[in-house]
Amino acid sequence: MLEELQRLEPFRAEVRGWLAANLPSDWRRRMLGASEADHVAFQEWWFGKLMAAGYGAPHWPAEWGGSGFSFAQQIVLYEEIARAGAPRLIHYFVALHHVPGTLLHWGTHAQRERHLPAVLSGKEIWCQGFSEPNAGSDLASLRTRAVRDGDHYVVNGQKTWSSNAHHAQFCLLLARTDPAASKSRGISYFILDMKTPGITLRPIKQMTGASHFNEIFLDDVRIPAENLVGPENEGWKVAQSTLSSERGLSILELAERMKQGFALLLADARVPGPDGVPYDDAETRRRLVDIHVRIEALRVLVNNQLGAVLRGEALGVAPSIVKLYYSDLLRDFTRLGASIRGIESQHLEDVLMGGPNETGYWMQDYLYSWAWTISGGSSEIQRNIIAERGLGLPREPAAA
Amino acid sequence: MDFELSEDQHALVSALQAILEDHSQIPQSARFDSHWCDTDLQAQLEDMGFLDAAREIGGLEGALVVYETARVIGAVETIGRGLVAPIACPGLELSGPVALARRDGLHLAIRNLPIARMLLIEDGADVLVLDLADGVVEPVETILAYPYGRFAAPPVLDDARRFVGAGEAMRKWWRVGLAAEIAGAASAAIDFTVDYVRTRKAFGRPIGAFQSVQHRLVQRHGYAKAAYYLAMRAAWSGTASDAQVAACHAQSGLKELLFDLHQFNGGMGMTNEHLLHFWIYRARALQAEAGGPTRAALAIAAARWDDGLSEPEERHLSMARS
Repeated sequence: MLEELQRLEPFRAEVRGWLAANLPSDWRRRMLGASEADHVAFQEWWFGKLMAAGYGAPHWPAEWGGSGFSFAQQIVLYEEIARAGAPRLIHYFVALHHVPGTLLHWGTHAQRERHLPAVLSGKEIWCQGFSEPNAGSDLASLRTRAVRDGDHYVVNGQKTWSSNAHHAQFCLLLARTDPAASKSRGISYFILDMKTPGITLRPIKQMTGASHFNEIFLDDVRIPAENLVGPENEGWKVAQSTLSSERGLSILELAERMKQGFALLLADARVPGPDGVPYDDAETRRRLVDIHVRIEALRVLVNNQLGAVLRGEALGVAPSIVKLYYSDLLRDFTRLGASIRGIESQHLEDVLMGGPNETGYWMQDYLYSWAWTISGGSSEIQRNIIAERGLGLPREPAAA
Repeated sequence: MDFELSEDQHALVSALQAILEDHSQIPQSARFDSHWCDTDLQAQLEDMGFLDAAREIGGLEGALVVYETARVIGAVETIGRGLVAPIACPGLELSGPVALARRDGLHLAIRNLPIARMLLIEDGADVLVLDLADGVVEPVETILAYPYGRFAAPPVLDDARRFVGAGEAMRKWWRVGLAAEIAGAASAAIDFTVDYVRTRKAFGRPIGAFQSVQHRLVQRHGYAKAAYYLAMRAAWSGTASDAQVAACHAQSGLKELLFDLHQFNGGMGMTNEHLLHFWIYRARALQAEAGGPTRAALAIAAARWDDGLSEPEERHLSMARS
């Protein structure tokens, strides 16, 4: 892995130079407390800049408009973007990762033609319609129904925790097409146009004050049959492609951003809030080192996962170990930030739109960190996976 | 950087594991002791050149030997003979176990002193090398998993050889060795416990089928994995800061490890009839020698942040070190 990355030093310098010249130095100021509309426009502008430079879709094949970068090049690019403190392309996450990961494997040519170029134009934001009020970790128990009616499916149900659905033009939707089949069988996968009649959105206000995710109510929503992705009743398999579509690069970016965030935490630690814990306090220093050491541990775990990808090896439970490690660490990290700022951190501050998970507004960061131990497979689910598939422990018996 | 072993490193580890497999059983006579030195294995490692890996190949290979041997049930001395002495004291002729001590700790019980032929003493910027004559060491009875001894009379250091400027290397590789040996003991203790909870049944099913057990074991598994990789990174990079991070991390997770593994082995885990204590007390002894997690953390804070400056810029290829 080292040699491969060393060969890419000229590429790294090129990316670094481009970021220095093109990343607006005041983007944090502009996006602090920005309106949703301004944030959407800014994300679209930044994505457009990245696309023009060839950095917007590094993992997409060239035939579909991507850069077709090697995995090692992608590693370098993600590292540099994180180290430059560039905005996260949060509006495009589903579109850039889940959409190609799904459609390139399962989609029809028409579906690819229709959607992939549009994603790269920056005009299509996508969201995910997987979780339901009664189907989170136990996703396969989802109850939203899709019933075939001529050349359409008629969908009724409710989705939740759908990030950026209020900005999205399309949704990757899971719905049950065969209620008689056992849980994970009988689910189908659809592309849902968010302008279809019968869709009602309700943004959910989070405890941070922001509203990133939404409930989606579906009442007699008619989806054309050509929007079915993969075979009917095989949606669970299709969803596995969606969920495994990014191979560690996001967590690499997050780990590198966390390292940058730690410098911010140190700076704050030197000038604590009026009742925050003082920097020269031995306990504070011990806690700071604990975070520092765990960030290093996270980085070696991430690098080993990336190394396995580069060598073409099966990843096994490595992604679960890394995700679990990251989310535990993020919570402790941001909690320490809140301790250091003291009562000041309790003031509700503006949200840094598109910021990292360590914006330096520590109480918000801390509150949001709880999302990380729940979303994308809760910590408990990750532990089940590692226990059963990694340590070879027996499965806990299913509920009667 | 990732730690996929090279072909040569794989060959080294495979050859070593083949030997260690023959030493996976403890003799019945030592079954209930608090520790057991596997002198045959120690001699084999010496004769077959495994303890020269650090000098002849590199620090990473030396650390791999420390890690792998820490996983077997019998104690062997590898940090001093296999890692610290060959790297910190180039040219020093080595044969047999090497004990390690600080100059201000010569009155204390020292790990491996009764079996050592030589003592390396960290003396500020320098290292003193003291040959150990018969009769100068008296054993100290402990429950920790290694032989301990102390000097019957304060040692005379006049004849000790001085390696000028070797102190930093000794501190660094001592930390790397402790991190690697703790990681090895921790992973072996986890494997032992995983085997136990797979077979031990309660309420009609293996206790390893309960999430309350599984999830805590997974947390400890994550700690041990990270401890291994950090130790190997430190051995590879050879930097003082990586060694500090590895030693700090290895110690920081031990409290939970010891608590959970003893808990899951139940009452048997508290006895010398069960084998768990061989690794647990090993880890405890190494942690004591490393100074404990709090001291390790404060040393890192002092080294990194007392200049009042921000976090040092990470070397550009940090990610790519391999």
